[in-house]
Amino acid sequence: MNEKNQFTMLKLENLNVTYNTRPAVRALQDVDLALAPKDTLGIIGESGCGKTTLALSIMGLIRNADISGRITFRKQVLTDMRESTLRRIRWRKIAMAFQNSLEVLNPVIRLGEQIAEPMYAHFKLSAREADQRVAELLELTGLEASWRHCYPHQLSGGMRQKALVAMALSCDPEVLIVDEPFSSLDAESRHAMVHLFQELQERMGFAMILISHSLPAIQQLTSRMITLYSGSVIEAGRTADMLRNPLHPYSRGLINAAPEFFQYKDLWGIAGEPPVAGSIDGCPFYPRCVQRDGPCKASRPRLQHVGIERMVACHKGGIETVLTARGVIKTFKLENQTITALDGVDILIRRGEVVSLVGASGSGKSTLAHILVNVLASDTGEVQFAGRRVTGHEATARMGGMQIVFQDPSEAVSPRLKVLDAVREPLDIMGWADRPDRDRKAVNALSAVHLPATPDFLHRSCHALSGGQRQRLAVARAMATDPALLIADEITAMLDPSTQATLLRELKGLQHTRGFSMLFITHDMHLARKVADRVYVLDHGAIVEHGAAFDVFDHPRSRHTHRLLDAAFDHDRSIARATDRNISGWEKS
Amino acid sequence: MKARVTTGIQFLRRMSAGGKTGAFILLAFVFVAAAASIISLHPHRQISGPPLSPPGPSHWLGTDDLGVDLWAQICHGARVSLIIGLGTALLAGLGGALAGILAGYAGGLTDAVLMRLIDIMIVLPDLPVMIVLAAFFGPSLMTIVIVLSLFSWVHTARIVRSRVLSLKQRRYIHAAETFGAGMVYLMHRHFLPEIFPLAAVSMIRLTGRAIVAEAGLSFLGLGDPTSRSWGLIIHHATNFQGIYYTDFWTWWLLYPWLALTLIVTALALVGRDLEKMADPRMMRGHGKPI
Repeated sequence: MNEKNQFTMLKLENLNVTYNTRPAVRALQDVDLALAPKDTLGIIGESGCGKTTLALSIMGLIRNADISGRITFRKQVLTDMRESTLRRIRWRKIAMAFQNSLEVLNPVIRLGEQIAEPMYAHFKLSAREADQRVAELLELTGLEASWRHCYPHQLSGGMRQKALVAMALSCDPEVLIVDEPFSSLDAESRHAMVHLFQELQERMGFAMILISHSLPAIQQLTSRMITLYSGSVIEAGRTADMLRNPLHPYSRGLINAAPEFFQYKDLWGIAGEPPVAGSIDGCPFYPRCVQRDGPCKASRPRLQHVGIERMVACHKGGIETVLTARGVIKTFKLENQTITALDGVDILIRRGEVVSLVGASGSGKSTLAHILVNVLASDTGEVQFAGRRVTGHEATARMGGMQIVFQDPSEAVSPRLKVLDAVREPLDIMGWADRPDRDRKAVNALSAVHLPATPDFLHRSCHALSGGQRQRLAVARAMATDPALLIADEITAMLDPSTQATLLRELKGLQHTRGFSMLFITHDMHLARKVADRVYVLDHGAIVEHGAAFDVFDHPRSRHTHRLLDAAFDHDRSIARATDRNISGWEKS
Repeated sequence: MKARVTTGIQFLRRMSAGGKTGAFILLAFVFVAAAASIISLHPHRQISGPPLSPPGPSHWLGTDDLGVDLWAQICHGARVSLIIGLGTALLAGLGGALAGILAGYAGGLTDAVLMRLIDIMIVLPDLPVMIVLAAFFGPSLMTIVIVLSLFSWVHTARIVRSRVLSLKQRRYIHAAETFGAGMVYLMHRHFLPEIFPLAAVSMIRLTGRAIVAEAGLSFLGLGDPTSRSWGLIIHHATNFQGIYYTDFWTWWLLYPWLALTLIVTALALVGRDLEKMADPRMMRGHGKPI
């Protein structure tokens, strides 16, 4: 990061690391980073994205590689230093707790001696003083001092991790780099370890770089974070902001795959594999990105400010907005009264996310959906799709536009049409390509939702299909147009649980591989919790709460959301209790 | 083609006994009308025997007061009846269906204007107005078809409109609209095929009504005097003084009446069966729409 912070202690400028393997692997590419005293920085990214290389290059421990760029620590340029000078800083000023494994520690040397090693080098202590200090350090990290007489293999994974931390802290460093400290720990030890770091950092005042896959730990321990992908920093910002509102599709993918945040959601990783570092000229995320475009393939985006303390490397300035609705009001006039179905609704859907719109029956969910696709006109308010105001059916009447799947499967497709005709209908109306291409596209769409594409099935009348099949057909029909946004209005409300599960999994799978956005409308909180990345809660025509799904479901702020959640989940608990009682009563008898 | 034939056979199989009888009678009339000049031994406009001769081997149904063969007149009369019936049904059925779709789909002012017009047409007593119109335009087959159509389209229009109103709210119509479908696409792809069974039933009924109405007008002397329709035969018969004091009526009046009754009954029977089949609920129940 280029911030001109006068308190900057550790600074990386334009750091490039290329390993001299065959072929050469460009592990880090133009990394800029700044760390102030007592600062805490989290680094996230998939395995192999360059996190550990970054840590090792700060420590000056990279071998067999070309390093360019500058690493400065308190005005001393580490990258220009000779190994002997560097040793005075390594461990003394900048220390690192390595990723835990048996390899890191020498199996034939007692723990105490290994921990004392850096101290001998830097402080010239006597054996007695060193032993004393080791005992203190072990107790500081929550290990009993007597463990120092043991060999590494005699300790459990968690204990070894603590020993590694003790080792890193032995010379009271100013910067502590911690690489994956939690990966081998169970939940309880992990919790204890997080607390330990919090406490140590408070007491000893070191700056910390935390490399971890555990997002909750990053959340608790760091104030800023960066996302590393294929050797580049692609997003940087305040931890709280980034976790709540990631701006790069990759960061969002990482966060959405975190089971700690989405406790009930189905787990879906980011589709595709990361490229071999440096093998792609354009944006390294291009092959996996949901909003890729021409320029993304041509050039690598630079990290740019998009807000205060917020930077993102994306040609599109971060995740694009697909749909916005502002101030939507809709009233229905009945004989002698006016019913306000929607009372100033604002909604925003971005590329590639699943947004759930939840609310009790009659809260205005379907009305909103119909207004979004302009089946119904709003009284006031504006809907924008892909940056353009929605008028007429322009946004839905094209390939790559938005599509809606309606609630009732029996009405979703004309019972009179043949399966193939029904799926091809949107393409026919839009006049896309020619007949054989349309047929092919329709058949592909049918296979995507796992409907058979046999001639017999293709020429069956739609009324001869079951509810589940028809609803899948409706989904296939929307899919045939490669939509950028799919609005699914209670599509499983009339299906049995098994069909519902199958359809939802298929839909989510499609969403995951094709990367379209989805507005999933439901009154079923269980379903919403299963699929949603973000949630809007609608009550009597007004959005009473919205945010990241884990925030809304775990810490609802609005009274109405509380009520909805209570009704959905307490009801289940009471059923469970009743079942328990029945079972225990039955056992007694 | 083969598929069409099989659908036709399926269609016949699903008809009731009454319906089948009706269909048979109708087919017979169509045959008679088509082959009128072949199957009648005598010309239908020229004297071919002694006047008022009773049915016999040379004149199967006897002759009228001028000595014109009655069988030949009835055969040719069937043409007139069928042309009038089908013509009116087609004209009124199509017009009514279009008006119904337009009113139902467009809604608003168009709907209001059309519906008020239909209300007026229903309230107007049709026979007197028909008499006036027929008298005004002068008697010809074409005029009669048009006049009858003017009064018959309203029922079809009302039925079709109500169906379109309910269809319009169907999600798949909304879906087609979101894909960008226009009125023309919806009309030929969704509305017309959905409405066709209903319109067909309505048209069969219209046929019956039109045939009777034409007979009525002709009976009153307002039909096409050159047409030799069944109504005209009855008109001439009843105008013959002393028809009720002789037994001439047993052929001169009876046979045209019988033809008229048969065709109307047959139409009613077929119409009833079609109505059952066109009912969407029954259609679903069978699981095999036509």
